[in-house]
Amino acid sequence: MSETMVKMENVQKNFGDLQVLKDISLELKQGEVVAIIGPSGSGKSTLLRCLNRLETVDGGSIAIEDECLVKDGKYVDDATARSICGKMGMVFQQFNLFPHMTVLENLLEAPMIVKKMKREEILPVADELLAKVGLAEKKDVYPTRLSGGQQQRVAIARALAMNPDIMLFDEPTSSLDPELTGEVLKTMRNLAEENMTMIVVTHEMGFAREVATKVIFMADGIVQEQGTPEELFGNPKNERLKAFLKSILR
Amino acid sequence: MEKILTMIYPLAEGSIVTIQLFAITLLLSLPLGLLLALARLSKIKPLGKFVEVYNWIMRGTPLMLQLLFVYFALPTFGILLPDVAAAVLAFVLNYAAYFAEIFRAGIQSIPKGQYEAARALGFTYVQTMRRIIVPQMVKRVLPPVGNETITLVKDTSLVYVLAMNDLLRAARTIVQREFDMTPFVIAGVFYLVMTFVVTRVFNWLEKHYARYEE
Repeated sequence: MSETMVKMENVQKNFGDLQVLKDISLELKQGEVVAIIGPSGSGKSTLLRCLNRLETVDGGSIAIEDECLVKDGKYVDDATARSICGKMGMVFQQFNLFPHMTVLENLLEAPMIVKKMKREEILPVADELLAKVGLAEKKDVYPTRLSGGQQQRVAIARALAMNPDIMLFDEPTSSLDPELTGEVLKTMRNLAEENMTMIVVTHEMGFAREVATKVIFMADGIVQEQGTPEELFGNPKNERLKAFLKSILR
Repeated sequence: MEKILTMIYPLAEGSIVTIQLFAITLLLSLPLGLLLALARLSKIKPLGKFVEVYNWIMRGTPLMLQLLFVYFALPTFGILLPDVAAAVLAFVLNYAAYFAEIFRAGIQSIPKGQYEAARALGFTYVQTMRRIIVPQMVKRVLPPVGNETITLVKDTSLVYVLAMNDLLRAARTIVQREFDMTPFVIAGVFYLVMTFVVTRVFNWLEKHYARYEE
């Protein structure tokens, strides 16, 4: 169970003159749950988005399950890249459900269109996933009728319907009312218990502390410190991390 | 009363020409407009520029001028078209430009997150457009497309310059022959009925798309 799922080496990303990621390297094994924390503008989300090509890197290498996506800043061809990125599911801060489709259709869409699966093949999977996130009775409802927490759980189920090996979460609870974050975090916690490999960009320190197997602290486009939650929260060494923890744990 | 009834028949015949022209133009200009909109938004810059210029010319010159050009000028270049085909060609080229601009605005109004969600799920560009973006765009552009469609019903009357026996020309023929203005009134009622039907269809479509909110 020590298969390498994600490997980033010396990844760089610029937005114009601004260097958002400077020489990022990290490795993720099967079943690991990595929480990326850090102040806003530190490059956390960009790092995540580089993994599934929502942003293209300007340098460095990325391999997913030992398959090369980028080598020294050069991408593999589009079809290969799409198939490699298909191993990852993503959950967004703004949910990004398809508003013109019901909850169930949101789950069926990608398997049917991208994987060309038959409706009757994916239907039981979708029903099971909706039951798992506790929204079986909402399957014929349009997304805007749901609360933010419910929408985010649908978004998680939609990503899982593609049967990914790795799940990327980009601040999944940041646009939720405080009383709704719990249900989403619980769904993510269940996923972690099922041994899903996860990368979670989050401001939820409780989640990072309790669920993550590894915590990465980023600031200024650099991994400032990484380690177990105990190490980072219990005995932070990096000055930036100390200041960050002080400011949020007040 | 009897006089009105004898007028109705040629006017009804004229309406058929009008309705045919309207229907064929709509059927062809909507898909062409979508293609132009997608081309305008394409990453291939010269293609986008070409469509921009095309739309400028089509929206920037009178439809009547375009009709006359297709009908009278094209034959001098050796392109001979039957009357109906010439009229349809001019209308389609013109209306596609208007629809293209409406569709472009509609597509651009769809949030970036929809593209990102589709991409993260493995959709290709074509799949994203066909399944995610364009279906949502349709709901948003219904009101302006409805406007254009109603305008098209009335714009078909421009073909009277091409000696096609549409509703307006049929009415004018009777007026000139009998010095009686009644055919104009009847033609007006016919147009009203047609635009009423179009309005109802668009109301129904808007209701249909109201099943989901954004």
